[in-house]
Amino acid sequence: MRRGWVEAGPVDEDEKLDREEARRVLRRLWRLLRPYRRAVYVAVAVLVAQTACLLAGPALVRYGVDAGLTENDGAALNRAAVIFLLVAVLGLALGRTAIWVVSRTGERFLRYLRARVFRHMIDLSTGFFEREKTGRLVSRMTSDIDALQELIAQGLVMFVQNALIFVGALVVIVSMSWQLSLAVLVIVPPVFVASRWFRRESNRAYLEVRESIGHNLATLQEGLEGVRVVQAFGRERGWIRRFRETNEAQYEANLETVRISARYFPFVEFTGVLGIAVLVGAGGVMVDQEIITVGTVLAFVLYLNNLFEPIQQLSQLYNTLQSAGAALHKLFGLLDTDPAVAERPGAVDLPERGALVVGGVSFAYGGGPPDTDGTVHPEGPLVLRDVSLAVEPGERVALVGPTGAGKSTLAKLMVRFYDPKGGTIAFGGVDLRDATLASLRERIVLVPQEGFLFAGTVRDNIRVGRAEATDAEVEAAVRALGLEVIFGAFPDGLDTEVRERGSRLSAGEKQLVSLARAALADPALLVLDEATSNLDPGTERQVERALDLLTAHRTVVVVAHRLSTAARCNRIAVVDEGRLMEVGTHDELLERRGRYARLFAAWDAGQARSA
Amino acid sequence: MADAVRPQRWWVAGGITAGLFWTAAKLAIPLLAAAAIDDGMRAGEITKVVTLTLAMIAVGVVQAVATGLRRYSAFRIALRTETDLRQRLFAHLQRLHFAFHDHSQTGQLMARANTDIQQIETVVILIPLTAASMLTMLGVIVIMALEDPVLALLALGVLPFLNIAATRFSNRIAPVNMQLQQELADLSGVVEETLSGIRVVKGFGAERLQVKRLEAEADSVLDRALAAARLRAGFMPLIDFLPTLSMVAILWYGGHQVLENQLELGSILAFNLYIFMLIWPLRMVGMLIAQASRASAGAGRVDQILATDPLVADRPGASELPAGPGDLRFEGVRFGYGPGRAVLNGLDLTIRGGEAVAVVGATGSGKTTIARLLPRFYDVEGGRVLMDGVDVRDLKVAELRRAIGIVFEDTFLFSDTVRENIAFADPEAPFEQVQRAARLSGADAFVTALPDGYDTIIGEHGFSLSGGQRQRIAIARAVLADPRVLILDDATSAVDPTKEHEIRAALGEVMHGRTTLIIAHRPATIALADRVVLVDEGRVVAEGTHEQLLATSERYREVLAQAETTGPTAVEAVP
Repeated sequence: MRRGWVEAGPVDEDEKLDREEARRVLRRLWRLLRPYRRAVYVAVAVLVAQTACLLAGPALVRYGVDAGLTENDGAALNRAAVIFLLVAVLGLALGRTAIWVVSRTGERFLRYLRARVFRHMIDLSTGFFEREKTGRLVSRMTSDIDALQELIAQGLVMFVQNALIFVGALVVIVSMSWQLSLAVLVIVPPVFVASRWFRRESNRAYLEVRESIGHNLATLQEGLEGVRVVQAFGRERGWIRRFRETNEAQYEANLETVRISARYFPFVEFTGVLGIAVLVGAGGVMVDQEIITVGTVLAFVLYLNNLFEPIQQLSQLYNTLQSAGAALHKLFGLLDTDPAVAERPGAVDLPERGALVVGGVSFAYGGGPPDTDGTVHPEGPLVLRDVSLAVEPGERVALVGPTGAGKSTLAKLMVRFYDPKGGTIAFGGVDLRDATLASLRERIVLVPQEGFLFAGTVRDNIRVGRAEATDAEVEAAVRALGLEVIFGAFPDGLDTEVRERGSRLSAGEKQLVSLARAALADPALLVLDEATSNLDPGTERQVERALDLLTAHRTVVVVAHRLSTAARCNRIAVVDEGRLMEVGTHDELLERRGRYARLFAAWDAGQARSA
Repeated sequence: MADAVRPQRWWVAGGITAGLFWTAAKLAIPLLAAAAIDDGMRAGEITKVVTLTLAMIAVGVVQAVATGLRRYSAFRIALRTETDLRQRLFAHLQRLHFAFHDHSQTGQLMARANTDIQQIETVVILIPLTAASMLTMLGVIVIMALEDPVLALLALGVLPFLNIAATRFSNRIAPVNMQLQQELADLSGVVEETLSGIRVVKGFGAERLQVKRLEAEADSVLDRALAAARLRAGFMPLIDFLPTLSMVAILWYGGHQVLENQLELGSILAFNLYIFMLIWPLRMVGMLIAQASRASAGAGRVDQILATDPLVADRPGASELPAGPGDLRFEGVRFGYGPGRAVLNGLDLTIRGGEAVAVVGATGSGKTTIARLLPRFYDVEGGRVLMDGVDVRDLKVAELRRAIGIVFEDTFLFSDTVRENIAFADPEAPFEQVQRAARLSGADAFVTALPDGYDTIIGEHGFSLSGGQRQRIAIARAVLADPRVLILDDATSAVDPTKEHEIRAALGEVMHGRTTLIIAHRPATIALADRVVLVDEGRVVAEGTHEQLLATSERYREVLAQAETTGPTAVEAVP
């Protein structure tokens, strides 16, 4: 009987797992499935029962024919028909149960896997995200888990069922007549070989189709995005020709898949007919010699599909399985990546207030354990050397220095995005490495000023600063920075969706949201990474005013790109070539005529020129 | 759609013939098998069994050849149709006017050329395949009815339910699958923004908040996935169940008929084989119905685009562009981007050949629009635009545009080499000419320093250039065309102020001997022009040199001051 045809996507050659990897993945999957094992056993039992129902049909036909028709026994015929009907109804019920049990278990497992992978991913240290491309990580959560979803929704039941049917049918026919089985099984190997050939060839051809579609879409997209330029320069014909090339390439690639299946399917149909012919021919001879009954021949013909179809189906499902295996392998790889910055056992909460003391800190990027795919990250050169600096409560300290001097790195160490390679950083006398991460993130907050907005309203975005804040607290934070007028002017005020068309926030407005977040978080120590992007003068003034209100009466470390910001701080620390060069007030440092004085003079001149 | 299939009528004919042979062969096999059992096996005539067996194999070969041919022709026709339709759509889109593209999103148009056309393709495949299947169905019904009408009714009676169930299933699962896809997209949206904003998430310790959002999305996914599973659990087992009912009917009723000698035993086998033969065709009819409704929606959307006529096209008897110095004249020009959105209200402007004129105005004043009417990106609603004395609408569009070099405000570069980007107007241009254009626009120095020089791939998928560098390539592209009129639409806005003087010097050379229209708001760029025109509310309100206007026009000073504060990236309000 012909079940649904599974269309699996092609699998890349380098994604396929070898035997050993596959075994490891399966073992691990089995461990992960521990809470779901009972459901798995139930599913397998149901599938076995369903398969038995399915295979009972032809056997009952044989009984009806041999005991009923040949013996002229109407009662036996009735018996066979009634049992056949009951078995069919039972099979229907079992089939429904099987699909439901497998899907429900599988989907719940995926729900668990999604949450688990995401939680693991988000807890990885910042360094991991700087190495890995966002797109690759996103695909772990999307295309990889989707491949598993595909398997659960379409393939898993069919895979198990087909395997059971094939084995079951084989057992049944051999037990009915090994002689006739021998005759028909001669056809199985060619079908098997052909199906394997078809899978390989069509996989290769579909990979080419995928690539050609990619090319064609790229041309299409570029032709549409650049249509104004194309028309302005009167190049329409050239582009139409160019599109024809990729379009025809897509056609050719598609046609190749058709050619392959135009070879395979005729063969499959022929073997089906050949099977019947062999059964009738060889069966006829055996019936004549009274080795078997006519009913057996009939049953064999009915079993024929149960032998051939599973081979074709399993061959197709093989791709789905391989994709799922590759996906699991990658997911496990991610789950095996340990966060470089993790909470120690017995970590303590940071005190509510205190000085931040950087003591003899040195740091280099890289190092640490290799990635799961074996990529080693050699330790880079030192970007910080023996830096010591204390920030007292209520103090505002600016970090200044040329690009690449290490000031942003120092800021990241202060919030424990990374751990120092040498020296210590402590808050209120507690080493950051001994602190609970929750208390650390609550007391010390890093604000990248280039405001990144999440989907949702302005209010939702501000609440990122403190998830449990009430509406009133959010509004208080907005008022504290004097932003109620600006945000109030948005179409729906604080409830304006930030991603919706027509209400896209400008760069300056994003920065203001970011500052409001910081005000809501209200940490003991605020580490601010000043935005480097240029704003128009009007917005610039708004941002500066909000920044002043935010930093007043707070302990702040600001990575200053504008020296006007630095000048407003209590103390300025000049970082260059990974070392702390000078520390002092703006006036002291100007008087010293050192690096800061030179930086300031250059910056001042630049300001004058662009004004 | 019919005329898209016409060029392939030989394949259609071949496919139909193969389909007929296929059907005949398929129908013959069970009859041969039945005969072998009744006339051979039960009659004890082994030679007859062997003959019929060989006949079956021969028919099997015919069936195999026919099925290969019919599949190949069906798919080939469909793929050809799809490819041609996509080509036609693309060609049409390339020729549609700017206003059309202003109102369309690239993503939407891509969906037309991709998803919608594929839906159509699927139907084109299914039609011949289903036709052959329907023929098979008809044959089976006739053969069975001739043999035993009551048994035929009993055996075939349940099968239409398979068709009904398949259609209902397709209709019900489609929206659920769409919701599932939407939920999956939302979920990946949360993942993507969490990872993009990971520094914010970590900086504020907002990990738990994001996990909660993700779990909410994952729950929605689970909910929809289970809804789909419920539908599948209801339908899929029916594929096995309904034919089994037929088999029960054949065994029971057919069996009794055999006992009463009304039917031969072989027919029991033949009927069973016929039932198997019908399962797939019946499902396919259901699929075709569901697919056809999706495809007709897609076809409607594609047709809507193809039925849109390009608004800007050559008039009948359009003339060649006469030789001339590049005199430009706007006479009482009125234009708007839609009803009630007038941008130009009777604009008069004359520019002599070889003159460089800067058009200055506030956001929304219509200054960019002036530049767009000249190459007929849009046509005026009233008044005329003349180039060297001829209304631009009376000229051949290709000639007109070849005479105008334009540098757009948002520079679009193609994913191609620098050389091909610069030689865009004339791909055959010799390298010396490309290099000269690059030198004139101040691009040669940085291009030479690129990894592969002029052969470096740039654009979205290539080497990323700064905004200023992109603009210089765009200027070179316009220069290479050696146009009579050069339009610089805010063409130096992204150039670093410290580099601007280099470009200004280069531009001075480029502009020499051409009519140049400069849309600008930076004083430095305005200084390139011989004359400045102030546009306000769609009219020219003041003309003169920069200094004259500064001295005499309050509005001019306002506009310049405004440009200063809104920054160089302010985009004119255009749909």
